[in-house]
Amino acid sequence: MLVYIVRRVALMVFVLWGVTLAAFVISHALPADPAAAALGNNAREEQLQAFRVRNGLDRPLAVQYGIYMARLAQGDMGASLRTQNPITSDLRQFFPATLELTLGAVVFALVIGLPLGVVAALTQGRWPDLVARTFALLGGATPVYWLAILALNVFHEKLGWLPGPGRLDAYSLPPPVKTGLVTIDSLLVGDREVFVDALRHLILPGLVLGMYSAALLTRMTRSALLEVLSQDYIRTARAKGLTRARVIGQHAMRNASLPILTVLGSLFGSLLTGAVLTETIFSWPGIGGYATTSAISLDFPAVMGVTLIAGLAYSVVNLLVDLLYAFFDPRISFS
Amino acid sequence: MKAVLTATLSLALLSTAGAQSSRQSTLVIGGDFSDLITLDPGVSYEFSGSLVTGNLYDTLVAYEGNNLSTLKPRLASSWTVAPTSTGSRLTFKLRDAKFSSGRPVTAADVVYSVNRVINLKTPSSFLYTDVANLKVGSVSAPDAKTVVMDIPKTANPNIVLALLTFNIGGVIDSTEAKAHETNGDFGSAWLKDHSAGSGPFMLNRWDRSAQVALDVNPNAFRRSVNIKRVILRYMLESSAQQSAMNSGEIDVAMNYTPDAFRDVVAAKKLKSQKADSFMLAYLGMNSAKGMPFEDARVREAVRYAIDQDGIISGLLQGLGRKTQTIIPIGLAGSDPKIYYPYDPEKAKALLKAAGKGDGFSVDFFVSTGSCAGGVPCADLAAKVQADLAKVGIKANIKQMVNSELLTAYRAQKAPLVQVSWSPDYPDADGNGTPLADYNAKSLAWRNGWHNADASKLAQSAAIETDAAKRLNIYKQLTALMVKEGPFSILYQPSRPIVIQSNVSGFNQNANGDVQFEKISKK
Repeated sequence: MLVYIVRRVALMVFVLWGVTLAAFVISHALPADPAAAALGNNAREEQLQAFRVRNGLDRPLAVQYGIYMARLAQGDMGASLRTQNPITSDLRQFFPATLELTLGAVVFALVIGLPLGVVAALTQGRWPDLVARTFALLGGATPVYWLAILALNVFHEKLGWLPGPGRLDAYSLPPPVKTGLVTIDSLLVGDREVFVDALRHLILPGLVLGMYSAALLTRMTRSALLEVLSQDYIRTARAKGLTRARVIGQHAMRNASLPILTVLGSLFGSLLTGAVLTETIFSWPGIGGYATTSAISLDFPAVMGVTLIAGLAYSVVNLLVDLLYAFFDPRISFS
Repeated sequence: MKAVLTATLSLALLSTAGAQSSRQSTLVIGGDFSDLITLDPGVSYEFSGSLVTGNLYDTLVAYEGNNLSTLKPRLASSWTVAPTSTGSRLTFKLRDAKFSSGRPVTAADVVYSVNRVINLKTPSSFLYTDVANLKVGSVSAPDAKTVVMDIPKTANPNIVLALLTFNIGGVIDSTEAKAHETNGDFGSAWLKDHSAGSGPFMLNRWDRSAQVALDVNPNAFRRSVNIKRVILRYMLESSAQQSAMNSGEIDVAMNYTPDAFRDVVAAKKLKSQKADSFMLAYLGMNSAKGMPFEDARVREAVRYAIDQDGIISGLLQGLGRKTQTIIPIGLAGSDPKIYYPYDPEKAKALLKAAGKGDGFSVDFFVSTGSCAGGVPCADLAAKVQADLAKVGIKANIKQMVNSELLTAYRAQKAPLVQVSWSPDYPDADGNGTPLADYNAKSLAWRNGWHNADASKLAQSAAIETDAAKRLNIYKQLTALMVKEGPFSILYQPSRPIVIQSNVSGFNQNANGDVQFEKISKK
């Protein structure tokens, strides 16, 4: 088990190195000058040149990459060209918001997708199944930005049930930053009001972002469970006189959970990086907006940083999923 | 687990009881503040940065409200300009004022604040070093209440005074800045997200990409009417701003799209303002040898061909003003005359005279995203393309991200480009030199347009201190530029401001400044 983890981590480092190389090459492909992007339209030539020298942009690309990697090996991701802040502090600032939103979306996807899938599988061909399948179809086909604007318009503007854009109400000052997750931070200082406010702000963007995943989970759960329910051992279990609930809960779900887990893992990864549109419309200060701004302004170090952290998140989630496999299916072993 | 979940969800759906009293004294502004990089007045060079720092720091002199031609006292209660053998001497007498820390504002703080910007080589340092020709030591403090600034003949004291009104002229509590200095940075790392000024507000905290929270400064001499806290909330999308305005979550919105703004004006439920700007949206025509716009008549043809009224009424829904010369409306030196009424026939005749009667095609560089006045660049380009097509000019739109476009433009490689320009300081020279003087290596240079007369006029206007003489020079320069120059001005955009009906005193001037202390909420 431990050997397996070490091997996987070594592989992860190798993959991430590949990611840095690809990101570096791609982000330098645009025929544009990052100094001009950072300093803007009015900047003078001598300012641009000073900026290039100060940030090492005047050196050959290979040298720039070498310097970047040498620094990265020491845990230094360099400084943002646009904000001149260390990338590590930028990521620390923006990543938690995205993580919080993504966790919210995953929770919603599970709460909606799993029960719907189970109900659909058990009522195959009847109306609940039809409802679930319709939802799976619509939820998977609705464009996120359209859903986001609609949700804001209906639930915030028209009905006033839920708050608008942002992570907190404008009138409540955010709690001191500890984890960067507003929900957790507000609990840490025991501020119930802010905690509730943060949760309420999480509902709409979380639902919008989680909608596609919920639809996918519904489909996956339904088909995985149907697959399992037609197996012999289920019939055996039923024949032994076990209640239907126990058969489904203990025997069927346990085996159906593997494909569901796989989907959940890849979903989590794609949600982390796919939150850009949701974040933009809900003015959610996460990594998505940061990545977009950085890409548009040719902020290479920032783009590299975002790419790395996304790659890392993907790898870690994948590893966790593989390890959970063993937990659910004793036949899988890592030795 | 289930119990916890139910409890959480039911909690979440309960409306939070926000403190109503604080709502009364809190002003919430929704806008696109994504350009905010630092709140250090000496470093910030972005629109949002100026907007915020103008309320955290005081400058020696300032413009009040929409009057951007009369300097008013701020930290300096009076000032004099006297000629010297080497140039001129500006002497400022300071009023009694206190920083938010409670320390008095002294002449030493002013000297420190100027020298700091020169030493730091910030994006805006060139205003002091290149435009005002200041060096460390140019500014001195004979006593605690007197500041003396010596400038050489190459700098115009009026322009120096004008740029002192910018956030670069914000006076910093030097004791505070020195206390937070790391590696000789004059406290700029700390001042990124802390404030040390004497302005009407002080920084509570800045959550990047989320919000900036300002609290009223109890020591300020510019007293806020009844607002104790100002929150600037990042809302990049017009749709989000509209939602939040309609639900009453924000008090002011700054980035409605032209269409959404038109609806607000029509509905009359909310207050609306068209705030002026000094920005000019324009077409740059590359006039270098062998380029399609080498012949001045072709450039004139373009100016006749562009339907400015159609752009302003259609695309901008009135959020823009019509002007054709290089100095924006509102600055002394601007010329309101319409030299080129929309006339496609005249354009065709000019093209014919220039030997291009059969028309020609040209690559048209256009940015992605939003252009001046909040109109999508692609929509504006489509309109320009259609106007040019009517006279036989085929503009092939090449859309690219702004940074790529800027790089090509800076390298004189843009045949025809759709961009905008804002002056660095509210003075005609902020446009005169870059747009007319090839030697400044700015816009005239980028368009390969070299005209010795224009350069001479721009240079002499820059240092002319006699107001009447100066206006006369600008009159000649604008007339020359409008006829010969490489630009076709499209419009001067206005900013759409939407305000709740219970808020009064919100006003954004053409510089983009808003004095938060003048705003009150019922």
